[in-house]
Amino acid sequence: MTPFGFSNRVLAVVVALFAIGYLVLAFRMPEFTAVEVPVQPSTLPRWLGAVLLVLAGVLFFQRGAPGEDGERVPAAGSAGTAAGTGDAGMDGGSGDAGGEGAGAAAGAAAPRAFLGRIPDARLELAAFAGSIAAYVLLFEPLGFLISTAVYVFGASWYLGYRRHWANALVSVGVPAVLYFTMSEFLDVALPTGPLPF
Amino acid sequence: METLDQIGYGFAVALAPENLLFVFIGVLAGTVIGMLPGLGPMSAIALMIPIAFGMDPTTAIIMLAGVYYGAVFGGSTSSILLNAPGISGTVATSFDGYPMARQGKAGKALAIAAIASFAGGTVGVVLLMLIAPWLAKFAVSFGPADYFSLMILGLTAVVSLGGKNLTKGLIAAVVGVVISLVGIDSQTATMRFTFGVPELFEGVQFLIVALGVFALAEVFAMLARRGSGGGDGAITSLRLNRREVRTLSAPTARGSLLGFFVGVLPGAGATIASFMAYSTEKRLARDGATFGRGNIKGVAAPESANNAAAVGSFVPLLTLGVPGSGTTAILLGALLVLGVQPGPLMLSERPDVFWGVVASMYVGNLVLLVLNLPLIPLFAKVLKTPRAVLLPLVVVFCMVGVYGLSFTTFDLWLLLGFGVLGYVMRQNGFPAAPLILGLILGGLMEKSMRQALQISDGAWSTFLTSPFSVALLALAVLAPVGPLLARLRRGPAAPSDASGPEAGDGAPDGGPGGRPDAGRPESSGNSGGPAGGGEHTTAEGR
Repeated sequence: MTPFGFSNRVLAVVVALFAIGYLVLAFRMPEFTAVEVPVQPSTLPRWLGAVLLVLAGVLFFQRGAPGEDGERVPAAGSAGTAAGTGDAGMDGGSGDAGGEGAGAAAGAAAPRAFLGRIPDARLELAAFAGSIAAYVLLFEPLGFLISTAVYVFGASWYLGYRRHWANALVSVGVPAVLYFTMSEFLDVALPTGPLPF
Repeated sequence: METLDQIGYGFAVALAPENLLFVFIGVLAGTVIGMLPGLGPMSAIALMIPIAFGMDPTTAIIMLAGVYYGAVFGGSTSSILLNAPGISGTVATSFDGYPMARQGKAGKALAIAAIASFAGGTVGVVLLMLIAPWLAKFAVSFGPADYFSLMILGLTAVVSLGGKNLTKGLIAAVVGVVISLVGIDSQTATMRFTFGVPELFEGVQFLIVALGVFALAEVFAMLARRGSGGGDGAITSLRLNRREVRTLSAPTARGSLLGFFVGVLPGAGATIASFMAYSTEKRLARDGATFGRGNIKGVAAPESANNAAAVGSFVPLLTLGVPGSGTTAILLGALLVLGVQPGPLMLSERPDVFWGVVASMYVGNLVLLVLNLPLIPLFAKVLKTPRAVLLPLVVVFCMVGVYGLSFTTFDLWLLLGFGVLGYVMRQNGFPAAPLILGLILGGLMEKSMRQALQISDGAWSTFLTSPFSVALLALAVLAPVGPLLARLRRGPAAPSDASGPEAGDGAPDGGPGGRPDAGRPESSGNSGGPAGGGEHTTAEGR
């Protein structure tokens, strides 16, 4: 399974829609007339939008199955041993080329703890993104220390960390160290929330 | 021989116990700060400036220089271990360093990084002493049109190294430039693509995008893999065998030279240097197809280059008083506060500062090696953290890095958005590196374009009349097209061609224009981008 992998046609349409929206905004941008300038604020955006539209057209006609460049993920229940997936160097751009070594190494290792609880990787990812969103929402109202401790403990527990005391220690200790380093030495004021310090 | 005397004088300054102590403190602090994802040399130096205030100017600048290359090395540590480059200059290191770490070779990757950094820094310092004045003259002769073409070449070169699908790489690069144009236009004060959101008026910070598409996207990917396929935290031997040393010596030497020359150009910096060195090695190597999957050369080349470039960027700062990067711009600010005016007169007026800094770089590189090699097992322990705990912690580090920059939760939402974007991009074969480079270069590109057209009264032909510019633009077109031509020529007629496997991955060894940037000084400048985030580059506008 390759979560969130799409075919080139779908991707091209998305890029094209973005480019069209961008071009509309670029052409609506007011001209700068106070002084004569050879390059208007909208000059480069117009070029970029046009180039993007052309590139989307090129992409549309390229072959490509959904998610062929993406990273496949092990199906639920076969974690660890089913790891011989193309494990791409993420931005070197080698796509899913090979990764034999990594796959073999992971396959040989004992099955490790299975992260998360929902079998469908897409839903699991959405849930994880949702937990980050909740963290961001609570970041200022609860303050850095409380929100981070709650987030780290909750997320680690959810992902399958079973040593609850160690977890509690980490979730309180790491934010505390970070917080006091940032505020005492670097003068970075993280939100305090209801706490007095 | 006068130079030798002066170098000796410089070493006397640098080896004074007090200065030695502060080099040590600077390098250590820089490494630790640089390791934290999100904190780079710029923030590291900025954070240390208050401490430097009370000091003697020479000691202060020596310490700050130590912070600089310590932070560059610290950034490579987090690139290798967590795939979370806190600095744009170490993004290229993560391409092969992180795969190595995941194969259980984290110790080796870090050792290579430390040694290559040392080599790069050392070569850089020697070159700085020998040919700084000449180089400065050459770099200054570049006009805005040449700079614009340089940056175009920088972008296409990165795209062509980026992977199998050229179109997707170009789309990523264009989107990067699109992001860089968000905010108030610096020349006309026009709002562009801000949608009335005040947080966007100053543009999108490089750091948010970098942490999103690299670190956060990596967290998503780790979760989707269910924690499998990661390095098992075994700290393998740091030792390199003789064959590896031989393999690494040439890429390191080339990376050092290339890095230095790119670093010297005002506006260029460690980022471009490391990408250039990486792409050059990928093109030159017979096993170029294994780059991106843990090739040791892919760690050595960008590491030597980014450290050499860090040294190289001191050339325009010290000899011209023009900072070559965002980081040296901050250093310039610190020097001015301390009452030292860098520039052509500095050599005669404050030789202690000039040669002291030069010599301290050498000492600092040595300290970096001595300090970091023994600490590598400690750094590599990061990998032993259980995945279930590591994932939330990386999220927290990203949050802190971003929030500490702007103090708004809006940027945290942006971070999450770029994390999702980065994950979707990587699932569909869009490389993230061109996006980042486009973002870094975008603002400067537009500025050079404006300056060039202002000078030429709006005639676009100006990009084709300067010989430098023409050559660079030609290379910019050839860089991605060369490999394509090579593939076409071999084409379907000769599928059993002996060099088939290499051609298959787009390794452009056969292409006529396939290796435009093979380490010569003229062409190594082919990417005059700013080292730091685009917003820090105002200083080099001329």
